[in-house]
Amino acid sequence: MTDAGPPPQGESIAGDDPAPAGGPLLTVDDLRVTFRTDDGIVHAVDGISYTVEAGKTLGIVGESGSGKTVSSLSTLGLTRSRNSQIDGRIVFEGRDINAMSDEELRKIRGNDVSMIFQDPLSSLHPFYKVGWQLMEAMQAHQSMSRSAAHTRAGELLELVGIPDPKRRVDQYPHEFSGGMRQRAMIAMALANEPKLLIADEPTTALDVTVQAQILALLGDLQRRLGTAIIIITHDLGVVAEIADEIAVMYAGRIVEHGSTGQIFSAPQHPYTWGLLKSIPRLDNPRDEELVPISGRPPSLINRPSGCYFHPRCPYVQEPHKRIDPRLESVAGESDHTVACLLSTDIRQRIWEGLQTGRDVDSLKRLAASGNGRSAPATIPAAEPGEEQ
Amino acid sequence: MTTYIIRRILWGILLIILVSALTFVFFNVFPSADPAILRAGRNSSPATIAHIRHNLGLDKPVYTQFWIYMKNILLHFNFGYSYYSGASVLGLIKDRLPATLSLTVGAAVFWLLAGIPVGIISAVRRGTLLDRAAMSGALFFVSMPVFWLGLVMLFLFANDIGRFHVFPGAGTYVGLTNDPVKWFTSLIMPWIVLAATSAAIYSRLLRGSLIEAMGEDYIRTARAKGLTERRVIWRHGVRSAITPVVTILGLDIGALLGGAVITETVFDIPGIGRLNYDAIVHSDFPIVQGTVLLAALFIIVANIIVDISYAYLDPRVRYS
Amino acid sequence: MRVSRNLIASAVTVLLAGGLAACGGSSSSSSSGGGSNSSTSSSAQAIPLKPGENPVGQQLTGKTKGGTLTVLSNGDFEHLDSGQAYYALDYQIIQATDRPLFSYPPNSVSTVRADLATTVPTTANGGITDGGKTVTVHIRTGVHYSPPVNREVTAQDVAFALERGANPNVGNAYWPAYFGAASPAPLLGSTSSKYQGGPLPGITTPNKTTIVFKMTKPGAPLLIDALSLPLSAPLPPEFVGPLDKKSPTTYGTQFLVATGPYMVQADKTGKIAGIGYQPGKSETLVRNPNWDPKTDFRPAYLNQIKVKVGGDSTVIGQQVLKGSDSIQLDTVDNSIVKQAYQQDPSQITFTSGSGDHYMAMNTQHGVFKNVNIRRAMWAALDREAIVKARGGALVAEPGTHFIYPGVAGYDQAGGAKGPPVDFNKSVTGNATAAAKYMKAAGYPSGKYTGNQTIQVVLSNAGNGPAIAQIVSSAMTSIGLKPKVSLVDQSTMYSKYCGVPKQQIDACPTVGWIRDFADPLSVLYATFYGPSIVPTNNSNWSQANIPAVNTAMVKAALVADPAAHVQAWANVDKMLVNEAVAVPEDFDNEPQIESKDVAGVNQLWNEGQWDFAFTSLKNG
Repeated sequence: MTDAGPPPQGESIAGDDPAPAGGPLLTVDDLRVTFRTDDGIVHAVDGISYTVEAGKTLGIVGESGSGKTVSSLSTLGLTRSRNSQIDGRIVFEGRDINAMSDEELRKIRGNDVSMIFQDPLSSLHPFYKVGWQLMEAMQAHQSMSRSAAHTRAGELLELVGIPDPKRRVDQYPHEFSGGMRQRAMIAMALANEPKLLIADEPTTALDVTVQAQILALLGDLQRRLGTAIIIITHDLGVVAEIADEIAVMYAGRIVEHGSTGQIFSAPQHPYTWGLLKSIPRLDNPRDEELVPISGRPPSLINRPSGCYFHPRCPYVQEPHKRIDPRLESVAGESDHTVACLLSTDIRQRIWEGLQTGRDVDSLKRLAASGNGRSAPATIPAAEPGEEQ
Repeated sequence: MTTYIIRRILWGILLIILVSALTFVFFNVFPSADPAILRAGRNSSPATIAHIRHNLGLDKPVYTQFWIYMKNILLHFNFGYSYYSGASVLGLIKDRLPATLSLTVGAAVFWLLAGIPVGIISAVRRGTLLDRAAMSGALFFVSMPVFWLGLVMLFLFANDIGRFHVFPGAGTYVGLTNDPVKWFTSLIMPWIVLAATSAAIYSRLLRGSLIEAMGEDYIRTARAKGLTERRVIWRHGVRSAITPVVTILGLDIGALLGGAVITETVFDIPGIGRLNYDAIVHSDFPIVQGTVLLAALFIIVANIIVDISYAYLDPRVRYS
Repeated sequence: MRVSRNLIASAVTVLLAGGLAACGGSSSSSSSGGGSNSSTSSSAQAIPLKPGENPVGQQLTGKTKGGTLTVLSNGDFEHLDSGQAYYALDYQIIQATDRPLFSYPPNSVSTVRADLATTVPTTANGGITDGGKTVTVHIRTGVHYSPPVNREVTAQDVAFALERGANPNVGNAYWPAYFGAASPAPLLGSTSSKYQGGPLPGITTPNKTTIVFKMTKPGAPLLIDALSLPLSAPLPPEFVGPLDKKSPTTYGTQFLVATGPYMVQADKTGKIAGIGYQPGKSETLVRNPNWDPKTDFRPAYLNQIKVKVGGDSTVIGQQVLKGSDSIQLDTVDNSIVKQAYQQDPSQITFTSGSGDHYMAMNTQHGVFKNVNIRRAMWAALDREAIVKARGGALVAEPGTHFIYPGVAGYDQAGGAKGPPVDFNKSVTGNATAAAKYMKAAGYPSGKYTGNQTIQVVLSNAGNGPAIAQIVSSAMTSIGLKPKVSLVDQSTMYSKYCGVPKQQIDACPTVGWIRDFADPLSVLYATFYGPSIVPTNNSNWSQANIPAVNTAMVKAALVADPAAHVQAWANVDKMLVNEAVAVPEDFDNEPQIESKDVAGVNQLWNEGQWDFAFTSLKNG
């Protein structure tokens, strides 16, 4: 599709675009995905819920192994297998994807919901021309002639900013540069004008300048086509510009969820803090070290007791090792939720301390002081916020 | 690409010359029997033996003999004459090749028809009872000697000596052009026997490579595009997984065209393998040399075809 | 030669030399002997050679005419040219397509009859003159060549056929032994090493129907026997001569003509290649349109004989036993022999006198130079065990001397029991006798105490390893230290046992088959001293005992048939006394046929089928 003249079928789809009255485009409700393996049951996704509104962008952020990719693959039913168990609801335009037959699901894939992946080289079939792969995507859902599909493939490549698309359409993926390949992937994902685009680490395999171009492209396309986007990344910096909302995942759960503004200005979860500290920032002094979060993500087979993050949390208190926090609204911000046993007050003071560069030990002491007051609240339901 | 093919062909020619030289050397260094004495008979006078040696050109130095031999092949396409029957080697090979060709190509069709579906089903249904049954069956056929399997088939299903009179038995082969129906029915059992081991090998090979291919990122992409599972498996999975199969298919066919001695013997099919075997028994060097050369030619050509088809199958090869 | 039999297949003769042939011999199993095979071999085993199992006295006349016989063969023929053929299988074809001067009828193992000749020459009928140095043969009129030659056969054609045997492009295997330099009675002019075919002073043809042979010595009986070999079958020089200019001749491989009742199917030019003969694949015999039954003793019942070459012998065996209209041409598999004998006894025949095996011992070099050690070896060897290794009593019996059953002189030389010398008494090994001869050899303990090792080379085919073990344990029992090498059969002959320079001490799997009835054809090539040659040697013991050599030359020229045979029997006894080799087994040849085939075996030719007498029961 181009600005000059979108093809008729594009228009007609665009005409139907609004999601069924009132409801969000996608609602994920208490999604749980487990895999049976020889070593035991992997709890890849452990009860997550979120919604995506039409035309909006949700960023899902977390380290690798946090379940963010599995949750998005589940949205397309791509985790269905003999060894997997998927519970909960994934409602797309009012229909539960989990309850769909394989054929119904297939009709949604690449059509209403499409996906782009981390490594565009391995995600494109090496033996087929880029144009062929684009045409295949179209012809899976629309009956169109080969020549029409071929023309459209060229248009799509042009749309995603690939120069000389007429020639490129007949080239193989290995003849493309990394950024070009990702553009081609995006073109393929957009081939059927999906309502929802899931981008799984779309820029990770690319170098920094290309990353920015791809993100700009996604933003631009969203504005022009009105596509909702779920962007999955381990890098908060990637979603800063593009996402409307951000969900932070850890060990198969969402630990913090809020608007992009909320997450960046008043992050609540120590894990989110860690992620924020590990973003390279142009406005920071060059010699400031990036602080990765110490430790490794937990095993999803034998998960830690209490708060899953407690083994890595610098501010951990004794009760956190026993009590499993629930995702609760942050006081005063109903659309900002967090799963943390520290009180809102303490969290705010620690975050401020982190901002001003206070040493970690004093912040730990700060957390411990809060602990004394929150200790009596042995009932897990007790909101840290109550302390305020 | 063209230069690459030309280079490969030149290499092939060099290799064939090398193979013939080696055959020549082996035959002269380890004579199983002196052809002149073989022809001269018992109590023959040294003069007679010398005369025969001269007539056969055996009195010349080995390198001269080799030169004459190669010259005849390259300039006159003359592979010499049997020491034993005087028949033209090329004529004999032409006479025997159709049988070997029928046997090999037909068997290849059989083992592909059996091996590919079994391999795909096993890969797609990995870990199921079906997969395990298929793979145990494959293991059984892989470890079965062709000779034994041939005899078992004959004693079970040949319509002369079998327990159940189903297929024409040993020695019923006729040329395709003589009687297509008899040609086909007489080859059914040899095809099955020759194909059994290969089908098993191919199914295991394809299963492994398809399982690997189905784990690739581009398969996930294909599924995410909303392609049917059938299309995902065939156009995306099998398309990638088939490459190693094509490789060994080329080499297997090349090698078998050099003669499938055991199958030819058990089923009494007059092919290249038996021609070669008989010639070795009789120290009939021109035929041995001719058939070895033919086998080398087939294997080398098969290799070149495999390489070219690689370029066809995998566009990445074309540009590297 | 790769002979068509199971057991012997592994041995019997020099592969390189084109090996042996098979011709008649007088013997116990002949019509005259009346099945003495079974009666005299009591020492060995008791095979019930019932009628139908041993084809003695087979019915030859009054059979059904017509039909096509299918002949299945694992191995191919070697030569269809009567001048080159020297192989039992080849003889089966030649016997139906060519007419030598004399032939053995199927039931005769000892006596030739006139074939192309009008009568067998004797002194009485004037055929043998000049004290046995000249033989005159008259040939029949009315015998014609098959197309495209068509003309009548002449005496000159017989002379041409014989003379071309010396042509290197033909290279007849037995020409030197029976007509040339190596013969006890060579034809005049044939001993020159320069003679390579062409007119020979020893063969003259005064007219179109007469041929006269002149020898340097009085060897008429031997010559007449030798003229029963296929080389004496006439050939048209105008047709064959040009083909003989090629090396090897293309007569027999590309072109062929016939004088017998059958011919290999050919085109108008006489070409058989690709028509009736496809090397390694098939041969087709059809009726010879120019054959006149009035000139022949062969009934020729069959219309066609189709030979299919190739296949596995167990499969072929089953096809013959369960199928119809078919016979097996060559080696019957051991398992098939047993099956047929137990389940279809009417479909199998055993012909005795199809060769022998023995352990040759080097009389020129090493431990076995000592005659007493050779005798001790003979005493120690368990011949019964070797028979078992070769397939048991159905196909072999223990050897006791060198003229084997079926060859004239077998009974005179000791029959089944052999000469009554103490080292030959027990076929299962005789430790006492062995010890006695070791003592006589100078080893008081009865065991060899020297430090020479014994080089033993034998064929690795089939039963080879088993025989190696039997031989080793016999050697060890008298203190010898054997070093055994199992090699390919042709390698055994061509590189070891047939090369005196190699100084091999013992060759336990060598064997020989007669060329015709005369016992000379068994003993002369194998034990005559002057016949030792540097390569391709068939005197594997390198026996060169002056008294034996003299006795052989004398015996060869004894004219009276009975005295002739007795003389050779005496030579056999001398060889036994000298223990030049240890006889291991005398072999029987099994042959199988389908139920509806009335096969006739050539008793003189190891029981091979005679296509000119065989018929189909249903026509």
